[in-house]
Amino acid sequence: MTIAQRSWNDLDDFQTFIDDGGIVEPTDDIPEAYRDEVFRFIEFHANSELMGGLTERDWIPKAPGLRLKQIFLAKTQDEIGHAHLLYMVAADMGVKSRSEMLEQLFDGRSRFHNVFHYQAVTWADQIAIAYLVDAAAFASQRAVFAECSYGPYKRVLKRIIAEEGFHMRHGEEMLLRLAEGTPVQREMFQAALDRWWWPAVQLFGPDSAPDDPLLAWKIKSQRNEVLRDAYVQKYVPLLQGYGFAIPDEHLTQDPDTGKWQTSEIDWEPLKATMRNGGPDSRRRIATAATNWSDTAWVRDALDVAAHARTANETAA
Amino acid sequence: MTDLAAGPTVETRELTSAVRTALGTVTDPEYPDISIVDLGLVEQVNVTPDGHATVGLIPTFSSCPALAMIATDVSSAVEVVPGITDTSVIWLSTPVWSVDRTSLTARRQLESSYTVVLRRKDGTLRCPVCGSDQVGDQSMAGPTRCRSVAWCETCRNVVEVMR
Repeated sequence: MTIAQRSWNDLDDFQTFIDDGGIVEPTDDIPEAYRDEVFRFIEFHANSELMGGLTERDWIPKAPGLRLKQIFLAKTQDEIGHAHLLYMVAADMGVKSRSEMLEQLFDGRSRFHNVFHYQAVTWADQIAIAYLVDAAAFASQRAVFAECSYGPYKRVLKRIIAEEGFHMRHGEEMLLRLAEGTPVQREMFQAALDRWWWPAVQLFGPDSAPDDPLLAWKIKSQRNEVLRDAYVQKYVPLLQGYGFAIPDEHLTQDPDTGKWQTSEIDWEPLKATMRNGGPDSRRRIATAATNWSDTAWVRDALDVAAHARTANETAA
Repeated sequence: MTDLAAGPTVETRELTSAVRTALGTVTDPEYPDISIVDLGLVEQVNVTPDGHATVGLIPTFSSCPALAMIATDVSSAVEVVPGITDTSVIWLSTPVWSVDRTSLTARRQLESSYTVVLRRKDGTLRCPVCGSDQVGDQSMAGPTRCRSVAWCETCRNVVEVMR
């Protein structure tokens, strides 16, 4: 069975197809400019899932109690599994192979989400990540899914979003425990919030340029600033409601509209993470690289087994 | 538990059916639009004449991280059924869940909204995106315990296989 290849006369023709809600498939004659942009976006997402999964993994031995260890085990499998699916979709686009993507990530030549360039100091940091960072990532993924024009990515995103929604419920549950806990637990969370609020708010990135091709090609359905604003409007009152302080002394609320306004965002920390020069970038990348090389024997063994199977089948 | 010697009364039969209807609205946290009834998780529903409901569920995998959440959602849905005074949710160790317990509705939803399929009896896979048989297994491990990962050579999509 084969699928007939679709093609477009030029980029304008392609744009009309996208504007009409068309879904691009790998079997199409995909314009190079679209392929490159979408590939870069999916590679960034895959890298972020992998680095995020390793963060979750770090906390499996330290999570208090069996139930939380089980949850962190499952979350680690989810994130690494998401990376696996995304790398499959990205590699199929023919821009870079899976091993090239991984090699560049471990060499520090690739990018991943800003939030995975910081250190999680205490257990409360991990809860702040589960509550704040997962929610920001979830909002941004949902906005990609909403109109996503690349079929294989949209299909994988559907399952990723369902699982991230489930993680958010865990995050809320864990946050509630600390919020209703002892003064020490509340202080721990406040300290973690002080560290994670700005990275979470910055996760959406600086506002999109009006001519951002990702918007035109419907990979993004919303400008970064629109998503960040919705996030701020939702999480400021929630966190304050739990009795925590937002670490922004210039945070204001419009008396008429009730809308929250953060102080001007300093983008330098985000830019530093995109150069892999964040506070914990070096250690995280090194750990990921070591992890990858330490497990090479598993991949080698699987390859040998697969070759043996193929050889047997050919002989039979 | 229901006093079996007395047999279910009309009232308990009606209550039981109301509880079953309520359970149909509870969805799986990892498939927010598929009901746990369609996924085959609900094994027993008992209601006593005084309104105590016991729901016996079976997990897809015993280490599934969603169990506590599903139990909470079941309690919340059943508690509000008129006539129910109290709800217990228990996880049963038998029978063991298998994909055979999923309903046709669940299978269709898994295919069309999640690109997730069940293996055919002969072990082969059919792509839920393009219908091709050229779907090969990629890895036993995927994002969750209950699914493995495959790839359709024809339309080049990731397909996950519920197991």
